[in-house]
Amino acid sequence: MLEIKSLSKTFGAGVAAYHALRSVDVTVEDGEFFTLLGPSGCGKTTLLRLIAGFEQPTGGQLVLDGQDIAAIPPSRRPVNTVFQSYALFPHMTVAQNVAFGLEARGTPARDVAARVEEVLQLVQMDHLRDRKSAALSGGQQQRVALARALAPRPRILLLDEPLSALDLKLRKEMQAELKRLQREMGLTFIFVTHDQDEALTMSDRIAVMEGGRLQQVAAPRDLYDHPANRFVAGFIGETNLLPGEAGNGQLRLAGLAPAPIAEAGAESGAVTVMIRPEHVVVGQEAANAVHTSGRVDELIFFGTDTHVKLSLPGGGSLTARTQNSLHSGTHLTEGQTVPLSLPYEALRILPDEAAHAV
Amino acid sequence: MAERKFSVRHVPGAAPIAIVTFIALYAPIVILIANAFNAGPVIGRWEGFSLRWFASAMQNEAFRNAALNSLIVAMLAALFSTLLAVMAALAITRGRRLKGEGGIFVVLNQPLLVPEIVLAIALMIVLAQIKQATGYHGLAYMIVAHSTFCIPFAFMPIRARLEGMDLTLETAAMDLYAGRFYTFRRVTLPLLAPGILAGFMLAFVVSLDNVVVSSFVKSPGQETLPTYLMGELRRNLSSEIYAISALLLFASVTVVAASWLITRRKP
Repeated sequence: MLEIKSLSKTFGAGVAAYHALRSVDVTVEDGEFFTLLGPSGCGKTTLLRLIAGFEQPTGGQLVLDGQDIAAIPPSRRPVNTVFQSYALFPHMTVAQNVAFGLEARGTPARDVAARVEEVLQLVQMDHLRDRKSAALSGGQQQRVALARALAPRPRILLLDEPLSALDLKLRKEMQAELKRLQREMGLTFIFVTHDQDEALTMSDRIAVMEGGRLQQVAAPRDLYDHPANRFVAGFIGETNLLPGEAGNGQLRLAGLAPAPIAEAGAESGAVTVMIRPEHVVVGQEAANAVHTSGRVDELIFFGTDTHVKLSLPGGGSLTARTQNSLHSGTHLTEGQTVPLSLPYEALRILPDEAAHAV
Repeated sequence: MAERKFSVRHVPGAAPIAIVTFIALYAPIVILIANAFNAGPVIGRWEGFSLRWFASAMQNEAFRNAALNSLIVAMLAALFSTLLAVMAALAITRGRRLKGEGGIFVVLNQPLLVPEIVLAIALMIVLAQIKQATGYHGLAYMIVAHSTFCIPFAFMPIRARLEGMDLTLETAAMDLYAGRFYTFRRVTLPLLAPGILAGFMLAFVVSLDNVVVSSFVKSPGQETLPTYLMGELRRNLSSEIYAISALLLFASVTVVAASWLITRRKP
């Protein structure tokens, strides 16, 4: 178990100080696939480098299995890293690269050879063991980097955007394979990415970061369905944000009939309401929903679904997604005005952003 | 509008100038080498191909001593200057940014800035004092003197190699339980090796060719190949000198070409 306690990192001092990480608190459980997600500059890589020991925190604690590891140099931390650039040693063969960590720790030669063989088989690279690492393709280098980091049996494996250099098809393959390896070994993975799809498909839990702070830590489904704030709602998936007013268990979207929503009891006054495009019902008045109408401005075909850009009578705009399966009978044309339903259970109230400004 | 690249080849007269320059640069050397293989003793009168001047040089003990001295001095001077250059290059490209890095560069490149004759006189004055005080007159003075001006030549390829090296590799080594020394031995040094070898070879050639510093620093009776050639020229212009010059040229070109081939290889 890795406990990150009010961890902060500031580069520089005085006016030039840059707060890369502002008092981050989170606990990563054993065997978890934990993802740090955020745009570039959000602090996710800094957090990873602090865990690896490449940077020293300016405040807070890093507690691994009850021991504060913040002062331990990277060469003695039981964590290994898969680097974004792979950082394979170009003058060594695949097997020598994988053996490096074991040899540096003084493992007997016979055990090194056995473990190298085992790990190379795990990543299906044993047939290339004597190839120089510079002579490998991107996907192969990726596998060797993974094998090299796994060989010394780390307590936690850190992965710094390891798939970003691969093309889309290979990336999808490696995503599945990483997930499989992680599950089979029961090893804790801390995975850094800026790709929300990657985060959603692979992770047990995702920590969304922005401006050096954790915005929300949750399972992919919860993160998508119940974003904690506007940033998370906008960063994960597509979303519609509408102005509204809350009070007495009622939510009133501008110009529309009130919706009875439990969450509305907690908030009062002006709020932001979120609804995902796929929850907007186009072309019919569904039960338990706020009803309105919209003019179809644009239809964008995406294969499995179509994005429908709509303008609302009050002046706002809304995006809906309609499935293109055989039994979904709606035929829309641009310029047409259609009835719309916003189901009560799809409406989410986001807290006032001013209180969370970075 | 499409950008048109300026090419010096399209300037009128560029080709003739290039040809004249090449002739001026290489004709004397070609003539010298040709004469080294001339059977007759007179320049300009070709009497057939022969290796007799090389053979007679080989039997000349003064030449052999000078050649041996040159090799010893060049080897050791290249070794010491390369060692110092590696340390300097590591200090500059690794770790924290040093204060006054510009000053360090000036000091390192001092031999390129200071006129060689000034350096030679300075070394002579200082080393003469030491010779007098210790009574030792061996080759060590020459080795020390050569080491000083060889440093910048050894330094350049090493620094270039270090700056082109991915720092993440060293970070990765430390992440994989390697301490500082282990990282240096298993990662930094092997990757740096071609730069070190190239630096060593350049320093070796620079030392091998040196005349000015050698003539001022050498003890009486001590000769390196270049100082020996200078002395011989003053006495008699024999074809043996051409043969020795050709050998020296061959040695220099071989080493420089080897060092160029090594640095050209990708890290």
